[in-house]
Amino acid sequence: MNELAPPIIAALVISLMGGALSVFVVLKRLAFIGQGISHAAFGGVGIALVLGVHGATAAGAIGQLGIVVAFSVLAALWIAALTRTHQGRADTAIGVVLSASMALGFILFTIAESGHVHDQAGAAEHQGGHHLIEEILFGNILDTDWPKATITIATALGIVLLTWLMRRRLIFWVFDEPVVDAFGLNANRITNAFMVILAIAIVMAMQIAGVVLAAAMLVLPGAGALNLSTKLKPVFIYSILIAVIGAALGMFVGFKADYPLGPSIVLTQSAIYLLTHITKAVSPRVRS
Amino acid sequence: MPPLESPAVEIDHVSYTYPATGLDTPSTPALDDVRFTIDQHTKLGILGPNGGGKSTLIKLILGILKPTTGSVRVFGQSPTQARQSGLVGYLPQRIQADRSCPISVEQVVGLGRSCHTKPWKKLTPDDHAAISNALELVDLQPLASRPIGALSGGQLQRVMIARAIAGNPKLLVLDEPTVGVDIAGQQRFGQLIETLHTQLDLTVIVVSHDMRAIAAVADRVACLSRTLHFHAAPDGLTPAVLAQVFAHDVAGVFGRIHIDAHLADGCDDPSHAHQHQHDCGCDDQSDMNSDMNKKSEGAP
Repeated sequence: MNELAPPIIAALVISLMGGALSVFVVLKRLAFIGQGISHAAFGGVGIALVLGVHGATAAGAIGQLGIVVAFSVLAALWIAALTRTHQGRADTAIGVVLSASMALGFILFTIAESGHVHDQAGAAEHQGGHHLIEEILFGNILDTDWPKATITIATALGIVLLTWLMRRRLIFWVFDEPVVDAFGLNANRITNAFMVILAIAIVMAMQIAGVVLAAAMLVLPGAGALNLSTKLKPVFIYSILIAVIGAALGMFVGFKADYPLGPSIVLTQSAIYLLTHITKAVSPRVRS
Repeated sequence: MPPLESPAVEIDHVSYTYPATGLDTPSTPALDDVRFTIDQHTKLGILGPNGGGKSTLIKLILGILKPTTGSVRVFGQSPTQARQSGLVGYLPQRIQADRSCPISVEQVVGLGRSCHTKPWKKLTPDDHAAISNALELVDLQPLASRPIGALSGGQLQRVMIARAIAGNPKLLVLDEPTVGVDIAGQQRFGQLIETLHTQLDLTVIVVSHDMRAIAAVADRVACLSRTLHFHAAPDGLTPAVLAQVFAHDVAGVFGRIHIDAHLADGCDDPSHAHQHQHDCGCDDQSDMNSDMNKKSEGAP
């Protein structure tokens, strides 16, 4: 049971962080940017592997996390800069960064594997490589030990604190970005700051849900909460509740049925989102 | 408090050219050697055709753009400093705010007050009083807790005005505030601005291509069409000046027109049009009308 404590606590804290951020992600329509960043992180994993930094040891896992975070932050800022260049068309920017990073990631994986595949140890590692790609794509929170969990929890709580400190600017930016500059704030600076926050948050969520599903943890809670209220504070509270309850239920189901935890959590949060949607449709008065 | 002796805005030989946005789109000059001063407590209307540089001038006053040449001072400070000190309130031309955002009227107005508050500090009783006062001035106090998405277009505009004044600015900039508003609405809007001007001791700049919107609000008028054509009290505004300012719009309707009869006497500097009225006798409305009529006869 003690072995399960670090991944469970890390997953709950990451979910709490996802709940807090997802209201901004949904209102600012950044869900697709989240997908772009999470897929771009694949390139970061490739770089870590080529550099020989991998998750076999605690130090290696933390080093890999650092490289992936750095790469994802750069990818997020690149998406923000390209979006400005393309007159706000984020889809073009995401298309460019996502494809380039995924392509880079796969080529770097191949390079990293080809360096070992000709010897005996390398052949075993070749098998492990495919397992690793699966983990990166769909996540594996159960590998989390206390050192890694401590860093993950501290980072996630740091993101929550930073978001709270930026709350007034973020709400202004989400609500009415075109006039933010006229009120003495700097819209580009706020955008870049949120992109950095989003990139780090997505890498944290990737540990649970992997490249493919990480962004869902930053979308579903907020989308569900917005079905339940039109008031700012309740929306944030509902979003955090959906995220954390969804994660707890998802892990419970995953453990009981021996399903992978990441997809179980995302599926449970999706089910809760569906329930909020039905609630809104059946009883519009709930959303007051 | 802004320095008492400084004008609200000093525009000194300002030109601005937008940079080229692509290989096949050349840079566009928007303003050319514009200079004028706006005294404190003035209600200035900036009148001009679409594409005449009005919004560019506002962006320069707000410090969002930097002049290509020349300088802009707001209460003796750089526009950026003035904006960050909360001296300037702004109402945008088109309200693009996300009305699906779960935010109340009071919270929207509070954004104009709290955006510079230190993040770890709560709003003070003074802040709450200023927000409440702003809502009262625009007559929206009863709707304070209503979600922003539940308001009509006119109510939303008043919320945005309240947001603009919640930070106690000394200069209020309104960009095309009455587009699509009928005459009665424009007059009500003029009364609201007059109230704000008096009660908050504001300098007001209203930008519009609509002369009625300007007339409803302003006690001085500046005509802008890339260069400054006129800057004086509205009663000095003559059809000759208006024809100069709106030459492109008028030509679009009536075909090419001649508006330079009065310039033939050597009055070839349009930025001094208000002097021409006195020095060159260029305020002959009948000449202008007859010239316009002649051209309109040939119009399709």
